[in-house]
Amino acid sequence: MAAASTVTAPAADTSRLGALVRNRALGKLLLLAVVAAVLIPIVNAKWASGSWPHALTVDLTGPLGKTSDWIIDNRDSHPLFLYFFGHISNAVVICVRGVYLVLLAAGWAGVTAAAGLIAWRVAGLKLAAAATAAFLACGLLGMWVPTMQTLALMIVAVLASVVLGAVLGLAAGLSDRTNRALRPVLDTMQVLPAFAYLLPVVLVFGIGVPAAVLATVVYAAPPMARLTALGLREADGGVMEAVASLGATARQRLLTARLPLARKQLLLGLNQTIMMALSMAVIASVIGAGGLGDRVYQALASVDVGAALAAGIPIVLLAVILDRTTAAAGERLGAAEPDGRRLHGLSGWGVAALVTIAVALAARFAGRIDWPDTWIVNIADPVNNAVDWMTSHLYSGVPYIGGTADWAGHFTTWVLDPVRDGLQGMPWWAVLLVVAALAWLIGTWRTALTAVLAMAAIGVLGVWKPSLDTLSQVLAAVAVTLVIGFAVGIAAARSERVELLLRPVLDVFQTMPQFVYLIPVVALFGVGRAPAVAAAVVYALPAVIRITTQGLRQVNGAAMESARSMGATSGQQLRQVQLPLARPALLLAVNQGVVLVLAVVIIGGLVGGGALGYDVVFGLAQGDLATGLVAGAAIVCLGLMLDRVTQPTERRAKKGA
Amino acid sequence: MRISMRMSIRVRRTTIGLAAAGTLLVATGCGAADMTKQSSPYANAKGAKTVTLSVQSWVGAQSNIAVAEYLLKHELGYRVDTVQVDEVPAWDALSQGRVDAIMEDWGHPDQEQRYVKDKKTIVNGGGLGVTGHIGWFVPTYFAEQHPDVTNWKNLNKYASQLRTAESGGKGQLLDGSPSYVTNDKALVDNLKLKYQVVFSGSEAAQITQIKQFAKARKPFLTYWYQPQWLFKKVPMTEVKLPAYKDGCDADPKKVACAYPKTPLQKYLNADFSKSGGKAAQFLKNFKWTTEDQNEVSLLIADKKMSPDEAAKKWIDEHESTWRAWLPK
Amino acid sequence: MSTTVEKAREEGAHTDAPVFSVRNLWKVFGPKADRVPGDAELAGLSAAELRTRTGCTAAVRDVSFDVRKGEVFVVMGLSGSGKSTLVRCLTRLIEPTSGGISIEGEDVLGMDKGRLRALRRHRAAMVFQHFGLLPHRTVLDNVAYGLEIQGMGRAERRAKAAAVVEKVGLEGLEQRRPGQLSGGQQQRVGLARALAVDPEVLLFDEPFSALDPLIRRDMQEEVIRLHREEGRTMVFITHDLTEALRLGDRIALMRDGKIVQLGTPEEIVGSPADDYVREFVRDVPREQVMTVRRAMRPADADEVGRGPAVAPGATVSEAIEAVARTGFAVRVMDDGRCLGVVDHARLLGVVAGTGAGSGVEAGSGTDSESGAGAASEAGAGASASASAGSGDAGSDAVADVTPPGEEVA
Repeated sequence: MAAASTVTAPAADTSRLGALVRNRALGKLLLLAVVAAVLIPIVNAKWASGSWPHALTVDLTGPLGKTSDWIIDNRDSHPLFLYFFGHISNAVVICVRGVYLVLLAAGWAGVTAAAGLIAWRVAGLKLAAAATAAFLACGLLGMWVPTMQTLALMIVAVLASVVLGAVLGLAAGLSDRTNRALRPVLDTMQVLPAFAYLLPVVLVFGIGVPAAVLATVVYAAPPMARLTALGLREADGGVMEAVASLGATARQRLLTARLPLARKQLLLGLNQTIMMALSMAVIASVIGAGGLGDRVYQALASVDVGAALAAGIPIVLLAVILDRTTAAAGERLGAAEPDGRRLHGLSGWGVAALVTIAVALAARFAGRIDWPDTWIVNIADPVNNAVDWMTSHLYSGVPYIGGTADWAGHFTTWVLDPVRDGLQGMPWWAVLLVVAALAWLIGTWRTALTAVLAMAAIGVLGVWKPSLDTLSQVLAAVAVTLVIGFAVGIAAARSERVELLLRPVLDVFQTMPQFVYLIPVVALFGVGRAPAVAAAVVYALPAVIRITTQGLRQVNGAAMESARSMGATSGQQLRQVQLPLARPALLLAVNQGVVLVLAVVIIGGLVGGGALGYDVVFGLAQGDLATGLVAGAAIVCLGLMLDRVTQPTERRAKKGA
Repeated sequence: MRISMRMSIRVRRTTIGLAAAGTLLVATGCGAADMTKQSSPYANAKGAKTVTLSVQSWVGAQSNIAVAEYLLKHELGYRVDTVQVDEVPAWDALSQGRVDAIMEDWGHPDQEQRYVKDKKTIVNGGGLGVTGHIGWFVPTYFAEQHPDVTNWKNLNKYASQLRTAESGGKGQLLDGSPSYVTNDKALVDNLKLKYQVVFSGSEAAQITQIKQFAKARKPFLTYWYQPQWLFKKVPMTEVKLPAYKDGCDADPKKVACAYPKTPLQKYLNADFSKSGGKAAQFLKNFKWTTEDQNEVSLLIADKKMSPDEAAKKWIDEHESTWRAWLPK
Repeated sequence: MSTTVEKAREEGAHTDAPVFSVRNLWKVFGPKADRVPGDAELAGLSAAELRTRTGCTAAVRDVSFDVRKGEVFVVMGLSGSGKSTLVRCLTRLIEPTSGGISIEGEDVLGMDKGRLRALRRHRAAMVFQHFGLLPHRTVLDNVAYGLEIQGMGRAERRAKAAAVVEKVGLEGLEQRRPGQLSGGQQQRVGLARALAVDPEVLLFDEPFSALDPLIRRDMQEEVIRLHREEGRTMVFITHDLTEALRLGDRIALMRDGKIVQLGTPEEIVGSPADDYVREFVRDVPREQVMTVRRAMRPADADEVGRGPAVAPGATVSEAIEAVARTGFAVRVMDDGRCLGVVDHARLLGVVAGTGAGSGVEAGSGTDSESGAGAASEAGAGASASASAGSGDAGSDAVADVTPPGEEVA
C-alpha cells in the first residue's frame, strides 16, 4: 500500500518531516495518508470488494414505491393534499391564468409595446429597440401563443421565486443562526441539475403547470435568497453604525439603510432568478409546463431540429433581453442621476403605461389582437436542410480526418471507456481517498468531509456503478471543455475582435435550451455517451470561455506593464504574468464548467448517455419514484462532491463574508 | 348631493374590494381544494370549449392527435390543447383531469387496475383500430445478405458485426425511450446472447441513429415497433424471438419470449367521458387503420410537414373515414 | 467671536453637571468578558497577558473623565488604544462592560431602548471617519436623514437640512449623491447630518484621518469656526497629535485602553506624565503650545517697567517674536499687573525642552493655576482660542489671542 510507505519514510528523517509539514498541501496529504493507512486495512478486511460493498447499501425501492403509491391513492382525499398542496396548486393555476389572460387581452401589439417601453424606462433606447424586435421575432416565428404561455408561467414563477428568495434571504441576512442553517442548503441547491428536481414535484402535484411552476420556483429562488442575504450582510458597517448613531429603530435601519444598500445584489439576484427560471421553464416541459419548452420537446420527438429551433429562438431572445435589461438596470443604479430624475421617472412610467394601453386598444379595434397567420415565417425547412446536409457530409467518410461518427467511436473507445473502467475498477475506498485528497488540497477539512460523505452516500444508495459511469462522462467532458475553453478564452482575451465576434455566439449557446441541440448532436455522433459529452461541452463552453476571458482581462495592469517594460514577449506575458495572476478566475471556470457539464450529462440520458441520467429519465417516464429519486439523490451527491472538489477556498471565504 | 355621490363612490369601491377579496377567497378558498380536479391555466382562454389531449413522444401518437385536433377544431368548434407527457405519467394526468384523453395506449395493466378498476377515474374509450407490435429488427438490406440473422438463435454469430464503440466487446442492441415497454435486458440474459443493450434515451435519438446507420448501409439490431413510419424510410425485418404465449412475460426477470401483439386502446377521463359532449363522443368514435396512421406519421416525421398540415392532407383525402366519427 | 466664547463659558459656569461624566468605564471583548473588570488580579494584567490568560481584549480599562459643557474634549491615542471604542460607549453603540456613564446627570447605561434612542436622536450626534453616508440618497436627504427618522415631515426637514447644508458650505451640491463628492465634501455632509439634529454634543470619531492634509486643515478650521459660533460641546477622537493640540481644550491621551494623561495641550506638552507621553510629544513645536504663563519667572525690579507686554495666555512663539523685535524680556501682564517676565534664556529653554515646562512647574510652582485641574479650569476658553489661533503662528493670531485671555481672567 502506497499510503503506508509514505508514512514511514519521513518519520525516519525528522528534518525532512519538518520541511514537509511546513508545506501546507503536503502536510494535509501526509495527515490524510496516516488516516488512510489506519482505516483502509480495517475497512478492506471487512468489506473486501472492488465496487461499493453490498453490505453497506440501503435498498430504498420498497419504501419509495410505497410512498409513491400512498401519494397517488390519497392525493384526492387526504387533508394534506386537500388543504395544503391543493391550495398551492390552485393559487398557481389562478395566477398563471390571470397573467396569461392579461397578456392575451393586451394582444401582440400591446405586449410588444409594453416590452419595448419597459426596456426603455429601465435600460435605455437601445435595449428598447432590441426588446421590441425580439417580441416581433417571436410572432414572426409563429410562436406568439407559446411565448405568452411561457411568459405567463415565467412571470408567476419569477415573482414567487423573488418573494420566497427575498424572505429567505432577509431571514438569513438578519439572523446569523438562520444564515448558518440556510447557507449550506442554498449552496447545494446552486449546483443541482434541474432534472433532479422534477420527479418529487410531479409526484405530489401531478403533471401540469402547478408542478412546473413549483419546480421552477425551487430551482430559481436560491440565487435570490443567496444574493439577498449576501447584500444584507455585506452592508457597509460604517453606514449602518452611522444610522444607528442617529437613533434609527431596527425597522428604520432595515428599510432606509440596509435594504437600499443591498440594491445591487438584489437586482443581481433578480437577474439570476430570471435566467434560471427561464432555463427551468424549458426543462419543465417534460412535466407539462406547456409553452415554448413544450414545442421544443415535441419537435424533438419528431426529430425536427428546425421546429425545435423555431421554438428555441424565442427562448434565446427572451433570455438575452431579460438578462441585458436587468443587468442594465443594475448598472444604472450605481451611476449618477441628474437632478429631479425621480419625478421625471414617475411621469416616464406613466407615459409608458398610457402608450401601452393605447397600442393595445388600437390593435384590438383594428381586429389584430392575434398574431396574423400570414406574418409567420417558416424557418424549419431551411434549417432542417442545413442540418441534414451537415450531418450527412460530416457523419462519416470525410477524407483524412474521418467523420464525426469515427471521432465519437474513438472518443468512446479510447477516452470514455478507459476512464469509466478505471473508475469502476478502482477499489471504492481508493475513490473516497482521492476525493478526500482533492477536496482537502483545494479547500478545508470541512470541504473534504462533505465531499467524502456525498460520495459515500452514493454508495449507500446503491448506485455506485452508474454514478461512476456518469462521473467518467463528466470528467471527460470537463477535460474537453477546459482545453477548448481556455484556448478560446485566451484568444478572446488577447483580441477585442475575437471577443466581439464570440459574444453573440456565447449568448446563444448559453441560453439555447439543451433539447434543441440534442438531435444534431446525435446525428453527428450517434447514440451513446459521446453525444452526451458533446452536448455537455457545447453547453458548458460559453461560461468557461467568458470567465477565462474576464479573468485574463482583469489581470492587474501594473503587473502587465512591468512585464512589458522588462521586454517580455507576449507569450511570456501570458505564461508568466497573466495566467498565474488569473488563477482564481481559472479555478472558478473549472468549478462552473464542472457544474454545468454535470447538468447536461444528466440530460444526456435522453441521447444514450445512460447511467444516472437515464435512470432519472426512466423514473420520470415510468413514474418510478424508487429509480428516479435515488438517481436524483445520487446526482445531488455527485454535484455536491464535484463542487467541493473544485471550489477553491478563497471563493468560499468570500462567500462567507 | 355631492356628498351622497362621494359616498356612493366609496361604497362602490368597498364593494369592488369586497367582491375581489371574495372572489379570491372562493378561488383559493378556505375549504378543501382538490388539485386532481384543476384544469390547465391555458385552457378555455377565450371562452371556447377546450379539449386537452395527451401527446406521447412517438410520431404515431402525434398523428392520432393531429387528426383529432384538426377535426375537433374545424368540424366541432373546439379549442384543443396538447400536452406532451410520457405514458405512465399520462395515466396520472388523465386521472386528475389535467388531460381529457389518451389516444393510443400500449397496455399498462398496473395503471389500468389502479385507475379504471379501483379509482374509476378513467374509462376505456375503445380501440384505436391499430394493432401494435414490439420486436427486434435488423435492416432489410442486412437480412437479405444474411437471411439466418432473422432467427434469434443465430444472433450470436453476428455479434461482432453489430459491435459499436458504445457496446464494447459485445454486439449492440439499440433500445429506445425509457418510457417504452421493454424486457430486452432480461431477454438478452435469458437467451444468453452476447449483446449489450444500449438505451438511446429517447425515440428521437433512436430514429436519428437508425437513419445514420441506414445511410451508411451499416448493420444494426434494434428494438422497434409497428406501426411506425420509419419502416417506409428504412425497411427493416423482424428477428424471430421464441414465440409469445399467454403469461410467458409474467415475471419480468424470467422473460424469454417475444412481445405480444397489442390492440391499441383509447382512454378517457371519467368525468370528461360523461360530460364531454360531442368531443367525448367523437373521441370514442375515432378509429382508423395502421396504414392511415402511418400515412400521417410519414408526412409529419419525414416530409417535415407540420402536424396540422399533415392532418389536413389526410383529412382531405379520406373524408368517408372521418365522417363516421362525428357525432350525429 | 469673543462674545460667543464668553457666553459659552458663562453657561458652563452655570451648569455644574458635566455633559458627559464617565466613571471607571471598562469595555472588554471576548469570552466571559464581564468577569475581567471585577477581578482585581485580571484587571491588573497587561493586554498581552490578559489575552493569553482569558482570551479577552480590554479595549477600555477603568477610564474616568468629565466632559464640560462647551469644551472640545479630545481623546487621543494611537490605533488600538481604545479611543474609538470609548467614544462608541458614550451612546452605547458599543455596550460597555462595566462602569458608569451619565449625560447631564442622567444615567446612560440605565436607559431603556426608547430613552437611548432619544439620546441618539436629539442629544449626541456622531461624525465618522468613513463618513457613513447613504449612497442612494442625495446630499440633502442624507443631511435630513436624522430628522427623517425622528419622524419630521418632508418639507420641514428639507428646509432645516438646506440651512445646515449652507452652514457647512455645500450650497449647490444638494442634489448630488455622495459618490459624486470629494472626501472633504462627503465629510461636510457627515458633519451637516450630525448638526441637523441640533445635538447637545457632537462626537467625532477620527473624522479627518481619511482626508488629504490640506483638506484636513480646512475641515479643522471648519470645526473651530463652528465651535466658535455655536459653542457646542464636542468630543473629538484623533490619532493626530497636531490635530489634538489645535482643537482640544483638554486632551485625554490613551494607551492600551487607559488614559495616561488628561490635561490641557500645554500640560501634556509641558509636563508629560510619563515617558510614553514624553516620547509622544517630543517633536511638537513647543513654542506654539506653551504659554508664557508657564515659562515666566518673577520679574526683577527693573524689568517690571520695561519691555513688551503680553497676556499670560500668549504662546511662547509670540513672546519670542516680541523679544526679537524689542531686545527686552517680555512682561506678562494681567489686568495691568505684571505677573512675571520671560527672557531669552527662558524662551530658549522652552524651545529646547530643557528649562521651562516641567522645570518651572516643579521648581517654583509659580501660582496655583499651574496645577492640572485649576489651570484647565481657567484656561478652558482661552487655550481653545489660543491653540486655534496659534496654528499658523501668524501675527494676526497674537491679536486674536491677547484680549480675551486678559479680560476674562
